[in-house]
Amino acid sequence: MNDKIIVIGGSAGSFQIITKILSELPKKFPYPIFLCLHRLKHVRTGFIEALTIKSNLNVIEPEDKVHIKSGNIYLAPANYHMYLELGNIISLSTEPAVNHSRPAIDLTFSSAAFNYKTKVVGIILSGANRDGANGIADVHKEGGITIAQSLEECQVRTMPEAAINATEIDYVYTSDEIISYLLKL
Amino acid sequence: MLITPEDVQKIILAYKRYSTYQFDDYSEKSFTRRVEKILIDYKLDIPSYINRLRSDKEFLEQSMKDITVNTTELFRDPKIWHTLKFRVLPRYSEQDSINIWHAGCSTGQEVYSLMILLNEMDLLEKANIYASDINEDVLEVARSGEYKYRFNLDYLENYNQVIKKNPYNFDEFKDVPFEKYFDVDKSKDRMKAKSFLRQKPLFRKQNLVAQNNVFYTKFDLILCRNVLIYFNYELQNKTIDFFHSLLFNKGSLVLGVHESMLGPIASKYIKKGIYYIKK
Ligand SMILES: C[S@@+](CC[C@H](N)C(=O)[O-])C[C@H]1O[C@@H](n2cnc3c(N)ncnc32)[C@H](O)[C@@H]1O
Repeated sequence: MNDKIIVIGGSAGSFQIITKILSELPKKFPYPIFLCLHRLKHVRTGFIEALTIKSNLNVIEPEDKVHIKSGNIYLAPANYHMYLELGNIISLSTEPAVNHSRPAIDLTFSSAAFNYKTKVVGIILSGANRDGANGIADVHKEGGITIAQSLEECQVRTMPEAAINATEIDYVYTSDEIISYLLKL
Repeated sequence: MLITPEDVQKIILAYKRYSTYQFDDYSEKSFTRRVEKILIDYKLDIPSYINRLRSDKEFLEQSMKDITVNTTELFRDPKIWHTLKFRVLPRYSEQDSINIWHAGCSTGQEVYSLMILLNEMDLLEKANIYASDINEDVLEVARSGEYKYRFNLDYLENYNQVIKKNPYNFDEFKDVPFEKYFDVDKSKDRMKAKSFLRQKPLFRKQNLVAQNNVFYTKFDLILCRNVLIYFNYELQNKTIDFFHSLLFNKGSLVLGVHESMLGPIASKYIKKGIYYIKK
């Protein structure tokens, strides 16, 4: 189990891409996916519903210390950082914002890289700040696969651009290419 | 990550050796991050950190406080407060007294929020309020009841939602000004809880890992929100078991919105949506 762990980070302009990706993945998608998305502070409810409607997979805001299950999509809850821990466990934390963000993409990505090394596929989508750049650099350092959304396609390119500058990115892909990559895993 | 799991083990061992603080069963990732922050803030490496822990009592205490995460807000997560108002507190409203413990109260916003709610329900007088934390600095702030006004203005909307409105009856509206409970000085960006609130709770230092009951009483209601997320699965279960031993029969336990009972300990409680009752 858990041959691959997919972590996806995004903020401004990533919501549509995410729903598109989720709608294309089959019900039997064999790997867990972690979504760390910045959202407006006040949009606490409704967000997960919006993601669920389009998805064939189970989208959940995990409770602290739950076991990771393949085929689940774990959305970092508003106002909590989401870590992957040893032993296939998720843990949450309310420590201060990192890169002005809680959840911070860097923390989810770095903890995934640390524990799952080459199994990690890290994907950085459209977004308006540099969060995720350090995290995806860690994914690369530990031998995982790194993907950034193509800058032409991004509504806001700051985030994937920072990722591309921070490390060696294996693939710069459009959303369609990201989807076909995930389907071939 | 700047440090290895072995480094973390060394630090944990040093705290154990030179103090009563046991971090063995803290959540690994957030603990590691806190230790990394200490290394940076105090410009230390692992050996000098351990050295300071051994030789400098003040540093040891201060670094323990730096390890704790103290984020909190007034009326954080309105859903919990609605549940307390309509489901939990009414269970005990006929009793002569209600014993309430905030475990891991941080700077006290949760404590003041509950006292405000109790007051609006005419239950404050018969409530005994106990609150504890491992970090004495946050307890000092909690006792003072004084906060930044503009720290994060979300709480004002949450106050309105919990105190003024009724989610089960949209027509209901109770105009209770915030100033009934806090003296606000916007120019200084300060607010201070009224003295009838401040004098009510008993704040004491307590380490949940050590499992000592510093209040020498049992409780009708224990709130422990966003504290257990810093503990691993085993310590969570032990702590929830400890709470079980300190609740009166039919007492309630309220955890944070993203916390739940995952282990065998769950069988000792009845889950009622987002709160738990002792069987
Ligand atoms: C994030 S705050 C939660 C504050 C409040 N309950 C809330 O939810 O808004 C966590 C608190 O737990 C305290 N804490 C951490 N470890 C503890 C321990 N072993 N015993 C008692 N308190 C502890 C910390 O000092 C911190 O103030």
